[in-house]
Amino acid sequence: MSETPIYAIIILAYLAVLILIGFITGRRTKSVEDFYIGGRRIGPWVTALSFVAAYFSSVVIIGGGGFGYMFGMATLWIGAINVLLGCTVCWIVLGPRIRQFTQRLNTMTIPGFFGERYQSRFALVFSALVIVLFMVFYNVSILKGMGHIFEVLVNIPYAYAILLAGIIILFYVSIGGYLAVVWTSFVQAWVMGIGLILLTIFSIKAIGGIASANQALQTIDPGLVNTPGVWGWSGLISYALIVSFGVWGMPQLVVRFYSIKNLRVLKIGTVVATIGTCMALLPYFNGAIARVLLPNLQSPDLAIPTLAKTVLSPIGSAVVLAAVVAAGMSTFASVLIILSSSLIQDIVKKGMKKDLSHKQVLLYSKLGSAVIGIISLVIALRPPAMVLTLTAFAWAVIASTTLWPVLFGIYWKRATKLGCAASMIGGFSSALIWMVIGKPFGIHGFVPGIIVGFILMVGVSFFTPGFSQAHIDRIWG
Amino acid sequence: MGPFNTPWLTFLAWIVALGCVVGSIIWAVWIFKPKEDDDE
Repeated sequence: MSETPIYAIIILAYLAVLILIGFITGRRTKSVEDFYIGGRRIGPWVTALSFVAAYFSSVVIIGGGGFGYMFGMATLWIGAINVLLGCTVCWIVLGPRIRQFTQRLNTMTIPGFFGERYQSRFALVFSALVIVLFMVFYNVSILKGMGHIFEVLVNIPYAYAILLAGIIILFYVSIGGYLAVVWTSFVQAWVMGIGLILLTIFSIKAIGGIASANQALQTIDPGLVNTPGVWGWSGLISYALIVSFGVWGMPQLVVRFYSIKNLRVLKIGTVVATIGTCMALLPYFNGAIARVLLPNLQSPDLAIPTLAKTVLSPIGSAVVLAAVVAAGMSTFASVLIILSSSLIQDIVKKGMKKDLSHKQVLLYSKLGSAVIGIISLVIALRPPAMVLTLTAFAWAVIASTTLWPVLFGIYWKRATKLGCAASMIGGFSSALIWMVIGKPFGIHGFVPGIIVGFILMVGVSFFTPGFSQAHIDRIWG
Repeated sequence: MGPFNTPWLTFLAWIVALGCVVGSIIWAVWIFKPKEDDDE
């Protein structure tokens, strides 16, 4: 039996499950709060695993395998720092306070939190605009990644692949909102976990054990098993920090803390999310094994798909394909709901002060998510060169704009309205300019972005008037 | 050289990940004690 029908059956079955979840959650989504944050009643498993699924896009699985292939076992440190900083410390430091503060301030979005915490319409509108503009580019990059995977593995043309995945996501996000996003992401996290574990077990078996893999890598180049190895400390650590600490400013991940049921549930969620994020090490590990088993690949990005086809049965490699697609779809859907909430709730309702009823906000949010999704799909079909350049900036620019206002907003009573505005503008512009001028010294734009943002937040807050005690008491309780 | 022919510094990455799982359990069970009023 040829492999393509098996791939098609497994992928179609998986897509049918997602559509079913869309129908079920659509019937439970009745209010704006349901649509944006699931009515703040999401349990620990769903919150935690949907966080994991939104964290890792297909680009991370494919790209992670590519890094493992190029730089060897030292790249396991990227996964380890993802677990440490991007998940465990992030949940412990941000989770409880964000859950409490956003409930007290009655906000459902990240820009909404800035608006209330800093009593600043500028912070609300500016952050919402940055999110809307750059998240669309981020979405385009996710769609592109998914489309190419379909193209390589199932021989489905790029355009058909992104239309198929994109339309299904649009369907379930626009009818089921956040509930659909977290429940589909929950399923997708399991698919990702099973796919990656399956691949790891069979890769180890194929190479004759972990010790043999290390020995073979050592023979090719000792730098492929040593840390920091062929990549060097600066490249390895700076990349690991960027993809871990940057999470703290990414709205589609931070919003998980808004929606969790209560603080007791958050405790369990922290443990589950940490265990789930451990799968971050597997693409790098498998990429390194692929270096031994498949030494002549045309591109490092082919390491995971080709390894899956080599060591697994057609059904097994279809599960890995489903895992890679699941990673892309869950991230795209999570970003879509953030885009819709920023556009309708923050820019139109609060920023432009449009008097909209709850019913209207819900309707416009559903329409907004569909329209933004369609725009992302159309751009991704044939992205102009400028858009391709901007997708590389999106993540660094958003995180540089929002990271310090979130962190100082929940930990430093002295953080002021002007400090927040200066940090946002400084972080945003320095990250963007740094990337535009071609990343001098090979340093990623996120680094100058957070350094400038930090200095401005602290410096300007010290020299500008703080908030009234009543406002502080309202937030800190 | 550490287990499975892995240099210790590289093997430490697995230990860090495992340590996070243990650390999160310790935090959830013994350290983080939300007050009843915090559970809004």
